[in-house]
Amino acid sequence: MRVLFLGTSSGAGKTTVSAMYCRYLARKGVRVAPFKASNLSLNSYATSDGGEIGIGQAFQAMASGAVPATDMNPILLKPSGNGRIQVVLNGMPYADITDDTPLDIGIATAEACKAYDRLRERFDAVVCEGSGSPAEINLRGRDIANVGMMRERNIPSVLVGDIERGGVFAALYGTWKLIPEGQRGLLKGFIINRFRGDPTMLGSGIASIEEITGMKCLGILPYADLRFPEEDSLSNSGGRMSGKDASSAYLENLDSLIAEAERCGFDFEALKRIAEG
Amino acid sequence: MDCIRKKVKEEVERGRTGSDHGCPYHPSHFIGQDCTFCFCPFYPCEDARFGKFIESRRGRDVWDCSDCLFIHRSEVAGFVLDEIRRTGFEECGDERMDEIFSDAKEKFWRRGRALMVLGATSDAGKSVTVAALCRVLHRRGFVTAPFKSQNMSLNSKVTRTGSEIAMIQALQAQAAGLKNTDYHMNPILMKPKGDMVSQVVVEGKPFADYDVSSYYSEFVPGPGREAVKRNIDFLLDRYDVVVMEGAGSPAEINIYDSDIANMQAAVIADAYCLLVVNAEWGGSFAYALGTVELIPENDRKRIKGIIINNVRGDTGKMRSGADELERMLGIPVIGIVPHADVKLPSEDSESFRNSRTVGTGSMRIAVVKFPRISNFTDLDPLFLEDTAVVFADRPEEFDGADAIVLPGTKNTISDLEWMKENGIAAKILSMKGKVPIIGLCGGYQMMGSLLSDPKGIEDGRPSETQGLGFFDNVTSWERYEKCVRQERGKIIATGGEVTGYEIHMGGTEVRERPLFSIEGFSGNADEGSVREDEMLFGTYLHGVFDTQDFRRYFLSFVKGGHNAPESVDYNEYVDWNLDKLADVFEEALDMDKVMEIIGAVR
Repeated sequence: MRVLFLGTSSGAGKTTVSAMYCRYLARKGVRVAPFKASNLSLNSYATSDGGEIGIGQAFQAMASGAVPATDMNPILLKPSGNGRIQVVLNGMPYADITDDTPLDIGIATAEACKAYDRLRERFDAVVCEGSGSPAEINLRGRDIANVGMMRERNIPSVLVGDIERGGVFAALYGTWKLIPEGQRGLLKGFIINRFRGDPTMLGSGIASIEEITGMKCLGILPYADLRFPEEDSLSNSGGRMSGKDASSAYLENLDSLIAEAERCGFDFEALKRIAEG
Repeated sequence: MDCIRKKVKEEVERGRTGSDHGCPYHPSHFIGQDCTFCFCPFYPCEDARFGKFIESRRGRDVWDCSDCLFIHRSEVAGFVLDEIRRTGFEECGDERMDEIFSDAKEKFWRRGRALMVLGATSDAGKSVTVAALCRVLHRRGFVTAPFKSQNMSLNSKVTRTGSEIAMIQALQAQAAGLKNTDYHMNPILMKPKGDMVSQVVVEGKPFADYDVSSYYSEFVPGPGREAVKRNIDFLLDRYDVVVMEGAGSPAEINIYDSDIANMQAAVIADAYCLLVVNAEWGGSFAYALGTVELIPENDRKRIKGIIINNVRGDTGKMRSGADELERMLGIPVIGIVPHADVKLPSEDSESFRNSRTVGTGSMRIAVVKFPRISNFTDLDPLFLEDTAVVFADRPEEFDGADAIVLPGTKNTISDLEWMKENGIAAKILSMKGKVPIIGLCGGYQMMGSLLSDPKGIEDGRPSETQGLGFFDNVTSWERYEKCVRQERGKIIATGGEVTGYEIHMGGTEVRERPLFSIEGFSGNADEGSVREDEMLFGTYLHGVFDTQDFRRYFLSFVKGGHNAPESVDYNEYVDWNLDKLADVFEEALDMDKVMEIIGAVR
């Protein structure tokens, strides 16, 4: 099983939805691992073998009941100011890149694919997360974690759209339309995240998007004021946490999220068919 | 009437005054108004474009034209004065006045033009774009008004006529230089009451309560639409340009036909539209493309330009994507606007996400918001305590703090310089010994006396930098290598448990008492620095607040007690920021194109 969750923007909820699905599969006894080919984050985590990965994958590993490993996030990009970005490759500092000396996308993609293949060997399911939006047409050809992995490994994909900011139908349709034709067919479904209110109001909009794009709506996830570790920015800082330590609080929050999703009729079966397809 | 006649006679004898800055009521309409005719020679003109009859307190019909700006336009005042002098009139009622009035209207009155700013999402930057355009047009001499059909906000302001409008439209009116802000600029205001019911305020007065479905089925098609039309007409009769703001996204296809805040308002006002997308979250091209293409073709034609807003870093990087978007849509990208570092009041619940304060507890923890802040999830466990955590990047935001955290950073040296330049370093030094201060990783390195980077490993160029001097430690970067490891140990002072992990470049020669004793293969090792009497703490451990033991240890030094922040002249501060905002937009937008879209060539 493998599936790639793509976001219509940063902060759309990819990390959380991926973690939720990791936790869901782990509770069913599936040996599952998270994967994010490349991550732009200053929040990192030290693995037990002394490597460095993004905090999001450490959290997803925890949700999977797996030990965080460098294969789960083979490329970590850490902006260090003055236009320089430190590249951490397979957990180790590799090089500093700048506009004039950019990352070799060929090498990076090859390394990401190797890490992904190793996880596929070791686990029954690999839950992948994209990075940012897959529709940044100004960066075409430099994308590894989204269209890059779709192209290299044909991973069936699901779009996560954030409805809290509005414009979710435009975002889902626009993202779908801007995915290169060769990969567009891998987009099998979409999820509307952070909804407040009466979901029946969305019916006609969802039906239009399903009809235009052929993607299936897997569900509407309700707005949940729950806190999870964050990678990208300070903008979403907030949310509830309770308990004595952070990690058990995060897991408890994931369990309530799964319960909420099930209550709202989230189609985990359809998602499973996509991941197995 | 006799009184007005007398006044007008005096005005004609006095001649042109321009803006009367000596008048205690000035400016009562807009900044730059002409005060030659404080009393209008045409009163009561009974032209419905300029005023209306209202009932006086004594029950008589009175002509009310307090919102008319016509006679206060300098070209009108000049023309009227010249004509009166030329024709040598004696009395206001003189029929020659009617001729002058029709000549003036013929010559100078024209219905204004509307420009609508749509957003691909909430928080796309519609409000600031409208504010910026209002200020730019005002500075270019256009009498400009903001407008938004409906607003959902608990942040409202009371106008001089006692009506309630959204705070943000009042701010945009200030940007336009207006002093006569009123409900016309925001005729429908929804105030959430809970249980999915909102109180709907129409033209400044509570109208009725609606839930979502009755709002769309009953209010919108009837009274809602009428209110929008009435007030757009009102403004277009009086202003050169009305800059309209949409609400949320105009492409909510599930409610498209009952959305009077976006395309329907554009149709009513016959407005051309600009679409703003926020680049900050990514996906901006997809949002722009999706928004335009989901709008039905007839309305889509009104969209004449796209603005990519809030771009951090090099705006040129967006150009190739913008060009492709132009080709796909046939609509020009008229501006790629950089992130504007301005401080303006924020509007709605959606903006609380950008709130700088997390939590409402009694202990106020100020965290230095470094430009390269990293591992700020270290602070998460503090939210489990009775805290309000403020991410602060200005010295005054540390006033009243009960504790200070210097978090991790990806570039210790440049963020230390940043903090020295903006006065935060001095502010924190002045609070030493009064509140507990803790440095984590990069923040801990800064707390030492010296930071030495002879090979430019940390900052890209060789440097030697004075630290804050809280500790006598010296940090140096000798090799391009990183320490990455997980740790577990004890707080030396209490014996309590601590866990965490280290990720850093550079090493520190510690000349202080250690904070922790870390378990290792070859016995225990000291970590961190502490001066309990001065309430100073520093450690390389990330996740240090994860254990309750350390959280409680640190927070035990917090005394509490709040000081009121220093007051500044808030209005001037806002105005200064509006100018700064307008500068950013004027620079980034193709203003010739904007003027062409408005059709406002004078």
